[in-house]
Amino acid sequence: MSEGKTYVEDVNRAFYDFRFEEKDSFRVQSGLTREIIEQISAEKGDPAWMRDFRLRSLEIFHATDMPLWGPSIEGLDMDNIVTYVRPNTERMHTKWEDVPEDIKDTFERLGIPKSERESLAGVGAQYDSELVYHNVRKEVAEQGVVYTDLESAMHGEYGEMIREHFMKLVPPTDHKFAALHGAVWSGGSFVYVPPGASVEIPLQSYFRLNAAGAGQFEHTLIIVDKGAKLHFIEGCSAPKYNVANLHAGCVELYVGENASLRYSTIENWSKNMYNLNTKRARVEKGGRIEWVSGSFGSHVSYLYPMSVLAGEGAACEFTGVTFAGEGQDLDTGCKIVHGAPDTTSHVNTRSISKSGGVSTFRSAVVVTEKAEGSKSSVSCQSLMLDPISRSDTIPAMDVRTSKADIGHEARIGRISDEAVFYLMSRGLSEEDAKALIVSGFAENVSKELPLEYAVEMNNLIRIEMKGAIG
Amino acid sequence: MKEMIVNRPIAETFGWLHMGGTRIMAPEGERAIACALAEGETRTVVVEDTEEAALVTADLPQGACLHLIGIRRAGAAGMARTDIRVRCGEGAEFHWYRLILGGQESYDNCSVTLEGTASSFTADIGYRLGGQEKYDINCEAIHTGRSTESRITASGVLSESARKLMRGTIDFRSGCAGSVGQETEDVLLMDETVRNQSVPVILCAEEDVAGDHGATIGRPDEKSLYYMGSRGLDTETACAMLAQAKLDAVIGRIPDPALRDALREETTR
Repeated sequence: MSEGKTYVEDVNRAFYDFRFEEKDSFRVQSGLTREIIEQISAEKGDPAWMRDFRLRSLEIFHATDMPLWGPSIEGLDMDNIVTYVRPNTERMHTKWEDVPEDIKDTFERLGIPKSERESLAGVGAQYDSELVYHNVRKEVAEQGVVYTDLESAMHGEYGEMIREHFMKLVPPTDHKFAALHGAVWSGGSFVYVPPGASVEIPLQSYFRLNAAGAGQFEHTLIIVDKGAKLHFIEGCSAPKYNVANLHAGCVELYVGENASLRYSTIENWSKNMYNLNTKRARVEKGGRIEWVSGSFGSHVSYLYPMSVLAGEGAACEFTGVTFAGEGQDLDTGCKIVHGAPDTTSHVNTRSISKSGGVSTFRSAVVVTEKAEGSKSSVSCQSLMLDPISRSDTIPAMDVRTSKADIGHEARIGRISDEAVFYLMSRGLSEEDAKALIVSGFAENVSKELPLEYAVEMNNLIRIEMKGAIG
Repeated sequence: MKEMIVNRPIAETFGWLHMGGTRIMAPEGERAIACALAEGETRTVVVEDTEEAALVTADLPQGACLHLIGIRRAGAAGMARTDIRVRCGEGAEFHWYRLILGGQESYDNCSVTLEGTASSFTADIGYRLGGQEKYDINCEAIHTGRSTESRITASGVLSESARKLMRGTIDFRSGCAGSVGQETEDVLLMDETVRNQSVPVILCAEEDVAGDHGATIGRPDEKSLYYMGSRGLDTETACAMLAQAKLDAVIGRIPDPALRDALREETTR
């Protein structure tokens, strides 16, 4: 522990911070009333069951208290949030050239169509409250894979399947913002991978919130049937405004028997965003869910993807990195419920805090009476880059059977002087040495991503060393 | 009797886990045990659990060293509740040895503030619970002074329908540069109906610190059982030896030789 100090720059968000004039074609009043919910429902042409579901969720929202254990969300005033903004396009497009110019330009700048051409099996792009583009490669569609927007799927042949699964994993009673989502959700993707199908290259949905003071409430529903395989990537960003924006999306993943799903997220919301997202997976016998999660943006985050290991031999792997800079309070982690015999879970996370940022790792591992022979290991490491930041680790374990093996380890510290010295002795400058160490610290996530996305993530955590002072 | 919430930790985990403090009905009032030590003095204090709650306080001056030993005997009925509040001055040391050899319900809260430079705190907690016995603990090491050290070690055995909930917190506050904190927990689960809950927390608002925690929870290690079996020990005896080892680890650290020997004899009976 020397007296030396390392100065690491905040993530440079300029790349994501551009914005266009708000040219939406329709938006509801700010706030949350029964009339607004009815208006959203009418705009979206909901079937009757969905309209009723929204109204019931609104009642639950009003009856549910704010969470008491996480970061403060006092700055979030629902009376000032616009819950539905339809961009200046009347429908979702399947040809990129048909997307309105300003929206197209937004996604071009973010590299979405380029990624589609080079490395994706399909792409969905959401702008404010609606999906504006969706496409899937012919060879993937020929396998019977369905990748479309949730609304149109709800009115088509998969309508009944959606009704059976929609908000069954994350019911509106789960917490206040799940109820909010149930009331105002809009946009998002539906993916169905039929039994035995294997999607070798990833599908991606990208969410962009352009409107100031608005909320985005997309719903992602993925069903990977028996023996099927899928990698799904989710990206999100927004320009920064001086008013609070809200993201309260919901992701529900159903992983069938012996099926496998990797769900990767690079989250880079702007620093005025309250990111209160809920993600949950149910994994059947022999199935596997892999979460790869990079959290870099938002003002406040509550994000804990949950895996319910419901079938014998089901497995979960969670790999995450969180970078909290100035003005950020990122409360991230995961929840795992071992609900069947011989289930396994592995959690490996990294947190980096700097410039007054607060990073909290919060986890829960619950091993029920039914989960005989189950194994779980949790490892979390935190790096403090200055004395004005904060890094907390709050893991919880609840083990209700003796026939289980549970391990947990956590470490908190600063950049090792010995490692810096070693790298400098090999010719690196001090700044480069420290930058290399911090990049390597986050490698657990980048190595799990396809190359193009690892590069994007490295852009996000590009770290500029400004000299060792003091 | 009055309703109260005990063992509320500094930081809470998810609300649905219900691990943030425990609501109990307990007798009102508590016996106060104030440990007043002079600078540089070393003292050992033994606190036997009774049905009356104990509030143990100490404000340790420079260089003082307090060894606090708390024992709950096997088969004890009713509820025992201990609340320990200690502040350590410069170079002061506080060592807490806690043995729960049984007892229907035990609640411990131990909060130690390491205020003085180079002060230190160690907690050695051992328990052996069976039947419907329950142990609920909150142990906090709050580092505010420079170059302070804490170590919290808990190891124990749960059998039949016993329950244990341990919250351990190492809290590095701003200004505690050069401090080190470590927490380890090792829990042996002997029967299918036991329940173990653990929340090992590290809170950090200082850059120049090192904190780590590790937990191992599960059934007796199969390799150890196999080795012991190959030496002629049946599984029951081997498990009993592994369980005894958890308590011995704590007993072996107790500084009073006579008490140490008596406890060894008592626990192996």
